[in-house]
Amino acid sequence: MTELIVLSCLIAGIGLYAWSVPQGSRSWWLLAGATAGLVLAAIAVSNSVRSTGDSWTAAILLDLAELAAVALVWTRATDESGRAARRYLGAIVPAIACTLIGGGLLQSGAPPAVEKLALCLLVFGFALKLAWIPLYFWLPDVAAHAPVMTTALIVSVVDIGTLTELAGLRARAPQLFDDHAAVWTAIALLSMYGGVLLALAQRELKRMLAFSTIGDVGLLVLGLVAGGATGLSGASIGALNHALSKVLLFGAVGLAERGLGRSVTLDTRGLAARLPVPAAVFVIGALGFIGVPPGFGFGAYWRIYLAAANYGGPALLGALLVVAVLDLFCYARAIHCTWLGPARDAVTGVPATLAPAALVALAVLMIGLGLYPGVLTAVPGPVLAVVTGR
Amino acid sequence: MIDLALVPTAVLLAAAVLELALARWLSRAAKGWLACSAAAAAAAGVLALARRTGHGEVVTAAGGNWDAGVPVAYHVDGLSVMFMLMGTVIGGAILLYSVRYMEHEAEGTTRFYVLMLSFIGGFTLLVGTSNLLLVYVAWEAMGLCSYFLVGFWYRQQASVDGARKVLIITHVGGYGLLAAIVMLFVRSGTFDWTDPAMATALSGGLVALLLVAAMAKSVLYPLHTWIPEAMNAPTPVSGLLHSACYVKCGVYLIARLYSIGPWHDVFGDALLLVGCVTMLVGAVFAVAQTDLKKLLAFSTVSQLGYIVTGLALGTDLGVAAGLYYAASHGLFKGTLFLCAGAVQHTTGTRDMRTLGGIAARMPVTTAVWLVAAAAIVGVPGTTGFVAKWLLFGAALEARQVVVVAVAWIVSLVTVFYFLKATISVFYGAPGPELRTDDIREVAPSMRVGMGVLGTACLVFGVAPQLLMQPVVAPAVRSLGFDWNIQLTWLGVMTGAGAAAVTAGGGAVIAAAALGGLVFGLVHASPARAVAVFSGGDPLPSGDALGAVDFAEMAQTAFTPVYSLDPDPLYIRIWHAIRDTAVGLGTVARATAEDHPVATAAVSIAILCGGVWLL
Repeated sequence: MTELIVLSCLIAGIGLYAWSVPQGSRSWWLLAGATAGLVLAAIAVSNSVRSTGDSWTAAILLDLAELAAVALVWTRATDESGRAARRYLGAIVPAIACTLIGGGLLQSGAPPAVEKLALCLLVFGFALKLAWIPLYFWLPDVAAHAPVMTTALIVSVVDIGTLTELAGLRARAPQLFDDHAAVWTAIALLSMYGGVLLALAQRELKRMLAFSTIGDVGLLVLGLVAGGATGLSGASIGALNHALSKVLLFGAVGLAERGLGRSVTLDTRGLAARLPVPAAVFVIGALGFIGVPPGFGFGAYWRIYLAAANYGGPALLGALLVVAVLDLFCYARAIHCTWLGPARDAVTGVPATLAPAALVALAVLMIGLGLYPGVLTAVPGPVLAVVTGR
Repeated sequence: MIDLALVPTAVLLAAAVLELALARWLSRAAKGWLACSAAAAAAAGVLALARRTGHGEVVTAAGGNWDAGVPVAYHVDGLSVMFMLMGTVIGGAILLYSVRYMEHEAEGTTRFYVLMLSFIGGFTLLVGTSNLLLVYVAWEAMGLCSYFLVGFWYRQQASVDGARKVLIITHVGGYGLLAAIVMLFVRSGTFDWTDPAMATALSGGLVALLLVAAMAKSVLYPLHTWIPEAMNAPTPVSGLLHSACYVKCGVYLIARLYSIGPWHDVFGDALLLVGCVTMLVGAVFAVAQTDLKKLLAFSTVSQLGYIVTGLALGTDLGVAAGLYYAASHGLFKGTLFLCAGAVQHTTGTRDMRTLGGIAARMPVTTAVWLVAAAAIVGVPGTTGFVAKWLLFGAALEARQVVVVAVAWIVSLVTVFYFLKATISVFYGAPGPELRTDDIREVAPSMRVGMGVLGTACLVFGVAPQLLMQPVVAPAVRSLGFDWNIQLTWLGVMTGAGAAAVTAGGGAVIAAAALGGLVFGLVHASPARAVAVFSGGDPLPSGDALGAVDFAEMAQTAFTPVYSLDPDPLYIRIWHAIRDTAVGLGTVARATAEDHPVATAAVSIAILCGGVWLL
């Protein structure tokens, strides 16, 4: 129940933000509503059919949501967003095909060779959908050129849906994960390290956020791979944290861009003096995202670390903690270069009122969940239930 | 009815929530009084706990689940109470001082008090809970509070730079704690450090990880470099960070290790080395400072070296010395910071090159400073003397002659730089920029705040039994050590370990007397000015030895030590990471982003190979 409330709050927050700071025409609203609705429906269906094992309806709903998200990027009607949408479409169409075919091949009693083929197709499909390294080519362009709430919707709500689909696969076909654990682990680590290092290489904040998304998804995948109640619930809580914090981070950057009239980069200085609310939201989102306690992210991180230590021993735990350190470097630099310190850049844009209020409400929700995660973990909601099988 | 063990944390956190809820209606001073009252109430709760733990009782409590499978379990013993007292009493005095100090801040007072209360509340949780995951949460929550408090003036570059360094170094070090906790759970199946399974799970590697976390928090070399940068914060923040709470987290963790599992000699030796190097490096760097708060910051580094050295000795007397030193340090360092803050508050500067001669204008502040300075250098009649006496006794008893030598040398250096600070700030001639007419004594509540702590330095120096028996002894016993220390008034030991240190003290007094005798015998003439031909008319300045002369002299004399500053290494590590990231970014753009189809083809080939081969 709490989980549904959090998801609903998230979607409402995106809506309020978009109401206050227009993200597109009427078609944007239609497509955004369709995307969110389809993802919620897919999660609900996944939850209701857990016992029967029927995954097709949910998968098709999620694929439709992905296509709606592509159309959402297209609504901006600029050359750059058109290019970004084409790249996104170029990733999503083969991804849908691969996951559907892979799922189809995955019948009980299928010969090992077919099962391996199915695994390859599924991994490839999910890699394109979730922009794993090195198949991330569409995400930075989308992040840089689509309206911020479009990106936020994709990397939060749509990603939650896709991760739920992956978690459902984990529950239905555990042998795909257990028999090929090394492959999954390598993929997850590659995304984690690649994502965070590429995030560190960026100077434009939205691209940096996009790459750090890739790294975080790698961690969540590792939680699923490590399995057990701890790893799975860690991945589930992590997905919610990912969604909440990315909306906060993209939302804050969006407000800063509106004020500055241009992109926010690491050369921007001291925005907090002129835009204290977006600055506070960014800091809360960033610290929650990287899992600094008592931020919400910690509830996910400690579970995944525990699962990883059980699964891969101290070496794997050490590898994860190195990524956490790199994440810290990345976000500390963003906070301190862009937001804190003496003001240097003039803020001339018309201030929005409802959008910061929506972000503050989500930030308060995130702090509350961080201070008392028991409210979420005591009774599993639909995502947690799908993931953990409880 | 809430359990007594939970009261201090609950009161402080509830007050933080109240501050937020009533922010619109409370004046700045009222917010301060609310915070101060909460700290006083929490201290009263701790005193009630101390009555029970003083007899060896352990007070336990359960406050429900914080997260699924993570109960809020409290296990309050003598050690917990000692640290809780430090946090709430010293924190309370600092909050009292803050009432007037923060009254002139145009904005952010609610933020300030909420963070301060959460900080102290987090400290009581850290030392009170037996759940290691909550220990980590409290550890990092305090880290976050300190990050925001150090960056309180977030529009000033120096403040936010200091805050970033606090965040990076202490949080990265904290991952050592998290890794150790996770591995302990994997091996023991519990987060509860009181569970006997924990002792068998505690291996050498895990102890090393815990020590790394402790070193980062407790400013032990080479993870100490954040603390001088954290000085561009409101003085109460510096006081709380340096004296009562923040730097004591690592001390608590090191001490607590004794009650968790076996303590191997190799760790004791390693920690002794770290402690000695830290006390030496801190003192030598302190000498070179011309910024009063930075000098105090480096002296904190040095003093933490003493504390950790005592704990690392691992004997009954050593642990008692370390813990008494920790309490004593909380008192005198808190006092010193509040005095430094009073000076800065009034004069607008903390640059010792500018300050001077303010003793006449601020007699109370000067008197309190002198008491605290006497304590830190170990003058008899103060807590510092008792602490040092215990520590030297413990080191001699353990036959750690090198430790004694290093501690003795550092004591001399400490005298040197505190003389420099005292003369530069309170006596001597003020710099030309200083408008002495505007200098006035600070507000009464600020004087009371620092006066309470200064008085405690004297009271517990003259009658150390008052602190030893009810607070330190139960803490020592709770770690499994025996308490057989007998002290006279002024803290001179008469029981076990007394012979060596008394002999050592006698030797020092004899040497001093011999020096005086020789000086008298040679009929040294009184100091007088020496006529120096300067090539013509006398030069206009250079007739007095000031802070700059000391600093320059120290920099020249100790140049090899300054090369031990680890910051250049950290900068190289950061550059290596950044260059790797930029290089990877260039490659990724040229391949994965510009040629996605080819990248996909190669990826699927590798994937198929992996699936079929692995």
